[in-house]
Amino acid sequence: MISEASLVDQLKDKDTQSHAFEVLINTYKVRLYWHIRRIVLNHDDTDDVLQNTFIKVFKNIDGFKGDSKLFSWMYRIATNEALSFLKAKSKKMGISNVELQTQIVDNLQADVYFEGEEIQLKLQKAIAALPDKQKLVFNMKYFEELKYEEISEILDTSVGALKASYHLASKKIEAFLKND
Amino acid sequence: MKEKDKHSGFKTPEGYFEGLSDSLLDKLKEESTIIPKNEGFEVPEGYFEGLNQNILSNLKEEESKVIPLNPYRKYYFTAIAVAASLLLIIGLQWKKEELYTFDDLAASDIESYFEFNDYGMSSYEIAEIMPIDDIHIQDMMQNEIKDENIADYLNDNIDIFEDLNLENDEY
Repeated sequence: MISEASLVDQLKDKDTQSHAFEVLINTYKVRLYWHIRRIVLNHDDTDDVLQNTFIKVFKNIDGFKGDSKLFSWMYRIATNEALSFLKAKSKKMGISNVELQTQIVDNLQADVYFEGEEIQLKLQKAIAALPDKQKLVFNMKYFEELKYEEISEILDTSVGALKASYHLASKKIEAFLKND
Repeated sequence: MKEKDKHSGFKTPEGYFEGLSDSLLDKLKEESTIIPKNEGFEVPEGYFEGLNQNILSNLKEEESKVIPLNPYRKYYFTAIAVAASLLLIIGLQWKKEELYTFDDLAASDIESYFEFNDYGMSSYEIAEIMPIDDIHIQDMMQNEIKDENIADYLNDNIDIFEDLNLENDEY
């Protein structure tokens, strides 16, 4: 597998960039898809945000200084794109971000790409009720199985604060699931 | 004897033992939790196979658009779009043959256009191209704010000092 540093060099070089971009998409598309899907929940919106993320990465690769890993930088772009997408959507609909999140979860039942049972629906309701940061940390740790050090670089938050966030989020979700 | 030889040439990833107790504890916690691992999300068949092509053709489309040399042009185009669409609406409603200029638009019309239309730029993107150094708070205020006004406002609107620690409940 090609190293991250040489992939970045190839992406910056006009002669090799189109091939390198395909390698980049193939390497990260599935992971970034699920990261975005867990924020916006619906497949079509995820597809839009994911495509925008890759296009932004490609257009801004010259500005990538290598201070962080390419992987963290792309996750950060994907996270910002997904959150901005939700913000723009709620503004367009004239409702608050929290109202939008509740509405999206309610719509999951009718979503053809959601095959969850009652427990999965309840799980999404519990996650939607968390503050943005706790939600991100919980998804990245529990479902995406990222290391605290990796999440720390993506969200620019200390490992200690992340552990506390994750612990709080898991407790809140467990309490929500137990509660009938 | 070298470190490598002691272990017959085997190596472990850097930081493996430091992180081991954390990941074991996480695994144990996960096994005892009631939170399901299956979320119920599905992806249309063949989606990932077709994704590369979709991104590449979207990128080509983006690149074929003319890139403005001056970033402020974005605003000129937006301003022209605002003016044109509002003039069209006004023109259709009143059916008058008067000529309107950008000056005829009320500031509130322009503000509400930006408020209710998604013009494809996040506040971060605007911040990137706006020369913030040249902007002062007074440029956006009609009346001057004095220190005593700020002190009065804080006195009237903040009940307890802890209210200022806004980040605490995030962790």
